[in-house]
Amino acid sequence: MTIARRRSPWIALLRVLRPIRPRPRWTEARLLALAAIALLVGSLSLRLGVDGQFGLADARGLGIYLGALLIAHFAQVLAGRRSDEILLPVVGLLGGISLLLMERLPQNLVTLGEGESALGLGDVQLIWLVLAIAVATTLAIVVRSDAWLRRYKYTWAAVGIALLLLTFIFGADVAGQRLTLRLGPISGQPSELLKVILVVFLAGYLSENRPLLIEQDSRLGPLRLPPLPYLAPMVAMWAIALGIVVVQRDLGAALLFFAVFLALTYAATGRLSLVIIGLALFLAGSALMANLFEHVRDRVDIWLDPFADPLGSGYQVVQSLHAFARGGLLGTGLGNGLPMVGGRLPIPEVHTDFPLAALGEELGLVGVIAILGLYFVVIQRGLRIGASAADDFRAILATGLALVVGVQAFIIAAGNLKVLPLTGVTLPFVSYGGSSLLANAVVVGLLLALSDRGVEPPPPPSEATGWRRRFRRASA
Amino acid sequence: MDPLLLVIWIVRLSFLALLYLFLARVVGSLLRDLRAAAREPATSPGRLIVVESPAGEPREGRSFDLDAITTLGRDVNNAIVIDDPFASSEHAVLTFRGRSWYVEDLGSTNGTFVNGRAVAAVAPLGFGDEVSIGQVRLRLERARSS
Repeated sequence: MTIARRRSPWIALLRVLRPIRPRPRWTEARLLALAAIALLVGSLSLRLGVDGQFGLADARGLGIYLGALLIAHFAQVLAGRRSDEILLPVVGLLGGISLLLMERLPQNLVTLGEGESALGLGDVQLIWLVLAIAVATTLAIVVRSDAWLRRYKYTWAAVGIALLLLTFIFGADVAGQRLTLRLGPISGQPSELLKVILVVFLAGYLSENRPLLIEQDSRLGPLRLPPLPYLAPMVAMWAIALGIVVVQRDLGAALLFFAVFLALTYAATGRLSLVIIGLALFLAGSALMANLFEHVRDRVDIWLDPFADPLGSGYQVVQSLHAFARGGLLGTGLGNGLPMVGGRLPIPEVHTDFPLAALGEELGLVGVIAILGLYFVVIQRGLRIGASAADDFRAILATGLALVVGVQAFIIAAGNLKVLPLTGVTLPFVSYGGSSLLANAVVVGLLLALSDRGVEPPPPPSEATGWRRRFRRASA
Repeated sequence: MDPLLLVIWIVRLSFLALLYLFLARVVGSLLRDLRAAAREPATSPGRLIVVESPAGEPREGRSFDLDAITTLGRDVNNAIVIDDPFASSEHAVLTFRGRSWYVEDLGSTNGTFVNGRAVAAVAPLGFGDEVSIGQVRLRLERARSS
């Protein structure tokens, strides 16, 4: 038995007031330097590929981006955090590749403002990337306690459901999908934020009810199940996923939410029976959807045979496959892909849904594998942070945050490669889009905060805090 | 061969090579991190932190590394001695079975509580849960990994 440091309120206060001691982060610095060199060479390669000139493509944009990463690094050094040092460089490299790609695509895909001062795709993406770095760094430094996530899990769930309902009712239909919510001048895709809220709620729910979910006291055929009332969230989750498919026509988000839900349930309970039931529900729901709804059946048909209608419904997927094929093993080189064929993009929505196909064409199989490897590293860091967390809430939260990013990356990568039906989710950190970048920045910021050894101890479980405890004492 | 094409080709491939150099460095860091974690001496399956202890024994904030079977109570022969007027001499036992912790009430006078709920015989215990014995509240946490 060991005697740990005493934690009295006075010592806690002293620890807050004590001057912050900067702490060098050498691993992060070295990896960031290497990422910066890689991006500079990439920029050189892009300029050579586009117009055969030596020099950097958009040196100003790349400079601003690398400067933002450097500031993020030094902010964490000065704050003296002992947090993860690998996430920032890996995510930074993905963001830099995104910047190179967006600068290289036709700039009029997205414009902000009008006339001479209008910003094109690359500039807008740069603004979002810098904002995302700011959000992630701020969260990593400011978040010292997870009580605000842990205590208000039902509030978060309510916020999530409200967002979902708002999108159901007021959402704008874009290309047959109701994803975008406009509030005055601000518009965004709530499903990106929703995935973070979902993980926070699940972490709270599963960590509190884990003992009950592990108990086995009801049976369904050969399967032993936890008490039936505790399966209600699983059924509710299934219904929400189906609702998203029917109303929003967003197969990607539904698939992502349900996959993360199943993975977290398994991570928290270690019970395969729950996963088997979840998968059975999923298969039944998918079969039902494919038979009842036109838009789901279309997606499945395209997936099974995109060449049936190569110029119509299967156009995107066929072009994506051609892009991968043109890329071959080593790719055509940055800037040497086919940006335009006959005045239009070979792959519509290349900047949001098909960045991996564009990268596959220009960097080849070798490059795509490296990029998928970067996503594996993100997942590994999340699982590692979860494994060394002090309690269940943090463990499940870190696992879920990493999985929500990783699973999303693999859903859209599989869609691009015709391994799964194509669904309209973004490639995290690479696709164009503010909602996606900011939501994923929140994920990275929270992971960094959770990985900090030396955060304040977790608060007692909700039942022993606040008014409920006072009420119990008064009534006892 | 046109020297410009050759240069373009070299720059192109060096970008890919740098991506892999970056990945190799990252994987190196990951392996070092995992090896460092594996080299640590085998830690106990969990620890108990004293959250509240009005009588002062055990002290608030104290942390106990747990064995797979840990007894709690007022008697000095317990692994964790809880000197509280509302604790029984042999009050409860914590056991680590399979992959999770269980708390068993040993027929104490005032009962054992998990997160405020009374334990009937045996109850599973998650990391982050609180056990109350008498007036003493203890929180189960994962052993500190570093």
